[in-house]
Amino acid sequence: MQSMSNSKAVLGRVVLSLSLGLTATMAMTTLTLTAPALGQSAHSDVVIKNATVMTATHGTIKNGSVYIKDGKISAVGETVNAPASATIIDAQGKYLTPGIIDSHSHIALDDDVNEATSPITPQMMMKDAFDYQDKNIYRALAGGVTTSLLLHGSANMIGGQAVVIKHKYGLSRDELLFPNAPRSIKFASGENPKRVYGARDQLPSTRMGNFAVQREALVQAQDYMREWDAYNDKLKRGDKDASPPKRDLKMEALADVLRGKILVQIHCYRADEMLTEMAMAKEFGYKLRAFHHALEAYKVADQLAANDVGIATFADWWGFKHEAWDAIPWNAVMAMRKGVHVAIKSDSEDYTRRLNQEAAKTIRYGGATEEEALKMITLNAAWIIGIDDRVGSIDVGKDADLVLWDGYPLSTTGVPEKVLIDGEVYFDRALPGLGMTHYKEGE
Amino acid sequence: MKPTKLPVILSEVETAQSAAAAKSKAPYTHSRPMWSGHSCPLPLILVLLLILTFSPKAFSQDKPIALKGGKLLTVSHGVIENGIVVMQGGKITAVGAASSVNIPADAKVIDATGMTIYPGLIDSETQLGLTEISAVAMTNDLIEMSDEIMPHMHTADAFHAESALIPVARLNGITNAVVAPDSGDTLPGQDSFIQLAGATAPDMLLIRDNAMPLNFTGDQRRNKGGFEKQKFPATRMGLAAQLRQSFLDAQDYKTKWADYERKKSDAAQNQNKDKNNDKDKKSDPLPPKRDLKLEALIPYLEGKKTIVLAAETPSDLETAVGLANEFKLKFVLNHISQAQPVLDYVASLKVPVIVGPIYEAPKDDERYDAVYSLPAQLYKRGVKIVFASYSAHNVRNLPDQAGFATAFGLPYDEALKAITLNAAEVWGVADQLGSLDVGKTANVVIANGDPLDVKTDVKQVYIQGQAIPMTSRQTQLRDEYSK
Repeated sequence: MQSMSNSKAVLGRVVLSLSLGLTATMAMTTLTLTAPALGQSAHSDVVIKNATVMTATHGTIKNGSVYIKDGKISAVGETVNAPASATIIDAQGKYLTPGIIDSHSHIALDDDVNEATSPITPQMMMKDAFDYQDKNIYRALAGGVTTSLLLHGSANMIGGQAVVIKHKYGLSRDELLFPNAPRSIKFASGENPKRVYGARDQLPSTRMGNFAVQREALVQAQDYMREWDAYNDKLKRGDKDASPPKRDLKMEALADVLRGKILVQIHCYRADEMLTEMAMAKEFGYKLRAFHHALEAYKVADQLAANDVGIATFADWWGFKHEAWDAIPWNAVMAMRKGVHVAIKSDSEDYTRRLNQEAAKTIRYGGATEEEALKMITLNAAWIIGIDDRVGSIDVGKDADLVLWDGYPLSTTGVPEKVLIDGEVYFDRALPGLGMTHYKEGE
Repeated sequence: MKPTKLPVILSEVETAQSAAAAKSKAPYTHSRPMWSGHSCPLPLILVLLLILTFSPKAFSQDKPIALKGGKLLTVSHGVIENGIVVMQGGKITAVGAASSVNIPADAKVIDATGMTIYPGLIDSETQLGLTEISAVAMTNDLIEMSDEIMPHMHTADAFHAESALIPVARLNGITNAVVAPDSGDTLPGQDSFIQLAGATAPDMLLIRDNAMPLNFTGDQRRNKGGFEKQKFPATRMGLAAQLRQSFLDAQDYKTKWADYERKKSDAAQNQNKDKNNDKDKKSDPLPPKRDLKLEALIPYLEGKKTIVLAAETPSDLETAVGLANEFKLKFVLNHISQAQPVLDYVASLKVPVIVGPIYEAPKDDERYDAVYSLPAQLYKRGVKIVFASYSAHNVRNLPDQAGFATAFGLPYDEALKAITLNAAEVWGVADQLGSLDVGKTANVVIANGDPLDVKTDVKQVYIQGQAIPMTSRQTQLRDEYSK
């Protein structure tokens, strides 16, 4: 277990009006940016027919079909209208689900997960370290994962900004980036920061120190934000002599947190720390998107629901450290029943390859329904990342990120047969070698 | 799923438990250092311990139990739909179709209609009882890293019967396990074979020192920290030379003791012949100095006990097997997760393999399922395989691995055998465990479905014919926060 990579993040949720504005802008940009890419990859229309379609939002359609046009889901139902020229994939009754979304991953970073030289490093951009050729991207894809949130580790109280990828293994770096995904920043709390810096006789070495360091950084960011606000006000008033304050990448990132422009993802295990983080967010006026790991969420699920903070948690990991001692496998379902957005995530290059099994555990531990279990690795995970309007379910208008399964997906024995991203097959189990369509071995 | 009478049984067990706790004559007559420094009153501690650690001794099976109507996965002789299992005196006394088994008149009958019944699962490598919280050093007794050759370490000496991890594991039907030290030494110490319920550590330790790992994966090298810090053995050459020397020393030690015993015996005979001759007394031989390390190796050199030979890559595997053969060690293989190119060679060794974990990453140029399919590849070549969780906290997920292997070609029956009968055979306990057969220990599991599926919920576990309380520290937390 790589405890240092057990990062958590609290999601700083964007204020509603802002969020709507952002989404609209994003949607427009997406169209503009992705149109050429789609053209290049010569998309043809695709119809997947005779599938048992598990939509994740509106039940399961037996003998269903999905019509994919320009990489998007254009129709879903028992029958769909599609042009005769469309490529037909006959699912022969097999299960079709949305692509799996891993809302907490550290793959493809070549160990550049923690800039553990200072507890506050919000200016670290995961994209700069993203190793798009890492085979773990392929292995996760073969397990049905189409999108991942690559997060910083939890050595620092504020680790840096994440990157969201699509698992289009074999393409170039920028083609793997999820277009216009919302920014996420990784905060942490608890044992890891205090251990890393405590071991060096530095601050923080206690939970008191952890929170003091975080609060201090936020106070500085408030000052920085005020300076810039004052400057912008002067500009607005037409003051041509106004000189801009010096840019500070660290403070700029935190000011964006305070302005609600970044989703705050917080690595946090203990219930009391979740309460403290929520109180601090209230104190400084930002929102949290999700607690990651959140193994004691079941103790404070009401409060999480009331603050609309999600959790990205393990199905049944426990006992690997003291703050994971009260973990129980019923956590996910107990929190979900209280109205919390719950995702099951991997935090592991191993488990990301079989998140379907991890999700299935919620059926056993707590009695999640099939759709609830599926949502925990699709739509709910998309919500954590802020992309639930674009992926995470089989609904018209969403990206055609789909998995065709050999066997029942929510089981030990269901394995992906074909994985499609934006309507194109990227993995096909029937192919020899690696089973890849866009990657040539030896490259 | 039809509801069963199991909840009733559970409450009976709980009642019995409370009664036993009230008597305060709990099986825990020994106080444990872990608790002794605390001011918690002893009776309360005993109650807590009883809740967390079920003791068969306190509740020996007083009357027969018949599980009626379930689907029996016997493992040894197929599947019996609508079957009956009778347990009496801690043993299985009848197994068969409902039409063919007579239920004893005084038996407690459990309706298991709609349920699946199978033998308790056996995990072939765990760290149960050696760790509580991985990151908290004081709760770990996993390995002595001060030397690489530590055959005189006995996991039985560290085994913590009251570990909160044990009820968590057995709630998923794991009833027996091998406890092994961590793998950072070539010879880290000796395994134990345990049962996951019992009054005390000795009760749970069915076999002390049942086997010994010999690890040769490269991880045992003392090569960390560059040339400044590394020490012998910093290479595989060093590891192999050190192992070879250790076994040679043990052979030599054995010879010295044999010589001594012979001389002693000769001396005794001479004395008997010539009782009145005081002069001969000075010829009594002196025993060699005892050496616990070398002594511990002797049963393995004599082939009386099993070496668990761990290697991953073909080259490590061949070096390790070469060493084992040089000293005529009896061995089973462990891991071999990167040995795909030499599986025919593995098969030619005609030894069982503890395979995996199959979740090991494949090599960089390999297909994603290169390790997932390893069990099937070995099975095709006639190799007997068993699975292990290689874990402490995740022992409960052992059956998932077996199930997953079936998705990559391992026949279902073989997957189930790999965590039951095959394991019992490898560990020399097939006469007592591993299948639903008359005469075997009544370690029996009732679940609401396929034991190899991750969704299946275990409803009741019997160990030595006794219904185990289906509670753990985790169920207690769940219940506390569900109020």
